[in-house]
Amino acid sequence: MGNDAKKQVRLRDDFWTPDVKGEKPKLLGSKCEACGEYFFPKKEKNWCVYCQTKALTDVTLGREGKLVSYSVVMQQPGGGFYKGPVPYAYGQVDLPEGIRIVTLFEVDNFDDLKVGKDVELVISKLCDNEDNNEVLTFKFRPIN
Amino acid sequence: MVNNMREVVVAGIGLTKWGVHPDKECYDLGSEAILSALDDAEMEWKDIQAAFCGSVYQGTGSGHQAIKEVALTGIPIVNVENACSSGGSAFRLAYQMVATGLHDVVLAIGMEKMPKGPIPSTAFRPWELASGFNVQMANYANETVEYMEETGATVEDFALVTVKNRKNGAENPNARFQKPVTVEDVLNSRMAASPLRLFHCCPLADGAGAMILCSTNNVKSPKRAVTVASTVLISGLYGEGSLGGGVSTSLKHTPKRGITQLSAKQAFEEAGYGPGDIQVLQAYDTMAPAELWDIEKLGFCKTGDAPKLIREGHFNIGGKLPVNTDGGLMSRGHPLGATGVGQLCELVTQLRGEAGTRQVKGAKIGMAHAMGAGPNSSVTILKK
Repeated sequence: MGNDAKKQVRLRDDFWTPDVKGEKPKLLGSKCEACGEYFFPKKEKNWCVYCQTKALTDVTLGREGKLVSYSVVMQQPGGGFYKGPVPYAYGQVDLPEGIRIVTLFEVDNFDDLKVGKDVELVISKLCDNEDNNEVLTFKFRPIN
Repeated sequence: MVNNMREVVVAGIGLTKWGVHPDKECYDLGSEAILSALDDAEMEWKDIQAAFCGSVYQGTGSGHQAIKEVALTGIPIVNVENACSSGGSAFRLAYQMVATGLHDVVLAIGMEKMPKGPIPSTAFRPWELASGFNVQMANYANETVEYMEETGATVEDFALVTVKNRKNGAENPNARFQKPVTVEDVLNSRMAASPLRLFHCCPLADGAGAMILCSTNNVKSPKRAVTVASTVLISGLYGEGSLGGGVSTSLKHTPKRGITQLSAKQAFEEAGYGPGDIQVLQAYDTMAPAELWDIEKLGFCKTGDAPKLIREGHFNIGGKLPVNTDGGLMSRGHPLGATGVGQLCELVTQLRGEAGTRQVKGAKIGMAHAMGAGPNSSVTILKK
């Protein structure tokens, strides 16, 4: 064991672009080439839920968005499925592609969260899993 | 009423006390409500021709288990799971059976005994559960933040909803909470999910309600019968924002009306009424601010006007539009699958003039609205 860094695993493989040195990660989504609608996460089926055609392609999404709403959760969620720290903050971010997504927020201080703030994508630790690996997920943090 | 459907009336209702019942199983609660509804309707089990039973977390054939404690006569029993709209959905199915003439007397039940331990809600994708997005208080808190931005409403306004509903609950012997609270009590309660504090959120509860619906010529006590003016269910519209459910919200294709607006519009049209005709309203107050935006979305006032109206006492018993006269979810508690039936039983009690100290004078027409994960929106209008 020694001082080896923990192995890092993704909460889901297709949430963001593969790791490439020197490149910033981007969220992966789907775009409908027929109607122009975007989806996050990436759709598993080639099927646009809006216009109901088989015209989806894989795309990367803008790394910056606007904070629409947030809440700081003060207690452990029911069910024991969430293994991250408490309190924690999550809410909604509007992406330039015209979609609103739900995301965790990364902040030093919860007071840094403000409606209307510009936020950017970061890949960050969610929790340790039962194999003692570090689980990574996407989050957004305010741009100062 | 829709074109050539038969008139349907509520002939009897039965409720258990709402609260924590550690010594009772769900079927005990369900059967208690059924027996009480039969008494109220002056009917016997043999009169019942079909049963629809709403619940959320009760597992396989839960309605059958409750009915087994009453009688087994071979009638069709169908279990209905539609999240917090389960009770309203069961009621609507019972209505449809009688309205179409397929059956003459049908039972609708809503019942719930909250299970202990982890509940893997299928309303959220596995990755959403792992990300901690399944906190209903926080999902409502996010909607609350948007509502505050849009309207300027404050946490003090939301506290007034709790204060009003807990005051009404104090007049309801079936409510889980029967003690009034002050604005200070609400604002000093612990933060649950900012900006919502514990007393802005409804408590859970166990309990059951049963209603017997029938055609007019099957009523035993016509004086106490209440007519179903309309009952509507809308389940999900593309582009309407919601937290959870695995789909990002489209900002390009927001529907003109959301599910609440659309279900209210249809319910008004089918009943031939407008918001001005409603004299008592059971709105969906799972969180205090939700009652305010619910009143607005149902069409009773413009967006952003409900906070001003609650400050003026508009929604009190004795006000222009009394809302949640039995204390709502805030006092009654929220027994998920039973909530819709609980709301409708309160409307029946009010329209019969049997609500005692919480009676809305002369109430003849009332509306109930229950949201549910999925999403679902169920709206019913009853008239005397």
